[in-house]
Amino acid sequence: MHFVTGGAYNGKGEWVEKQYGIHRASHFWYSAYRSSAPPEVENFTDIDGVIVWEGIEYWVKDVLTYSREEEIQQRVQQFLVDFAAWENSKRTRKVILIGTDITKGIVPVDEKDRLLRDVCGRVYQKMAKQATQMDIIWYGIAQKIK
Amino acid sequence: MARIIFISGGVRSGKSQLAEKLAIDRAHYHGKQLHYIATAQPSDKEMVLRIKHHQKHRQESGKKWMTWEQPRNVHQLATHYSSNDIILLDCLTTLLNNEFFYENRWSDYEFQQQIFKNLVQGIKELSSKVDTLILVSNEIFHDVISDEPLVLVYGKMLGRLHQKIVALADEAYLVDAGCLIQMKGGEEYERLNGRWNSL
Repeated sequence: MHFVTGGAYNGKGEWVEKQYGIHRASHFWYSAYRSSAPPEVENFTDIDGVIVWEGIEYWVKDVLTYSREEEIQQRVQQFLVDFAAWENSKRTRKVILIGTDITKGIVPVDEKDRLLRDVCGRVYQKMAKQATQMDIIWYGIAQKIK
Repeated sequence: MARIIFISGGVRSGKSQLAEKLAIDRAHYHGKQLHYIATAQPSDKEMVLRIKHHQKHRQESGKKWMTWEQPRNVHQLATHYSSNDIILLDCLTTLLNNEFFYENRWSDYEFQQQIFKNLVQGIKELSSKVDTLILVSNEIFHDVISDEPLVLVYGKMLGRLHQKIVALADEAYLVDAGCLIQMKGGEEYERLNGRWNSL
């Protein structure tokens, strides 16, 4: 698993496209910006290759409108367990997670935004922990963290 | 084409001072003339104070800066410069603001494309004339998701602009709390970095 983060509009998606030779129009590119749900492991039992889940902060924001943080953390945990197993069963399998870092601005006035920041930060910690690779993208330049 | 150096950082990170140091150092080392392109407009009391602070700082540097006030259309300055000049432009964010709000057409896609093209073209024109072009900008990309179309469009444009400039740049730096973090290029980095750290 490869976790890719950085500020908004910093070219994270483009970097992943180049790095992995996968296009964002691909069926294996799940984007919360385009209202896609996250990939489900059941759909990939017989499929190898690279799966991208992009816009995690948008997904968190969306799910927070109808559920509590515990449920989100649980879904993320399940996702990570499922896809780690999927990846481990074949060498040609890989999951890329792309999430915008929204945790370094001023404290938001809106309570919902404060919660979003908190939840997002904790979700990213989980992802970073599970990931074997992590990069922070700064205007197209990658800084390898892990 | 000249050397393009991009420096970006958060508010009060010390990015302007470091950019000035970099310009002064290069001017001294290569015997070049220092120029400063000021993009801010004294629109309110706060901005007047910020401008004064920057002017005072440049005066105190004891170096001869030639100041050009150019809130828009920076390409118009290109004809005034030669390969003997080092240009510091502070900052891209304000420049984009000024272009962006000049007409009330920010939501118009054609207008956005035009501004983007003009800004990149302006930067290329400047850099084609001078020895070094140093561009200062702001880190504004780590805030919570905005629902405001204006904020989204502006952020996207500035982000695209930064990506484009970093791709063109020979050196790119991120400034955090007065510390310079090199993200791209620069053989002078080692030599300068030691000195800067001891400031």
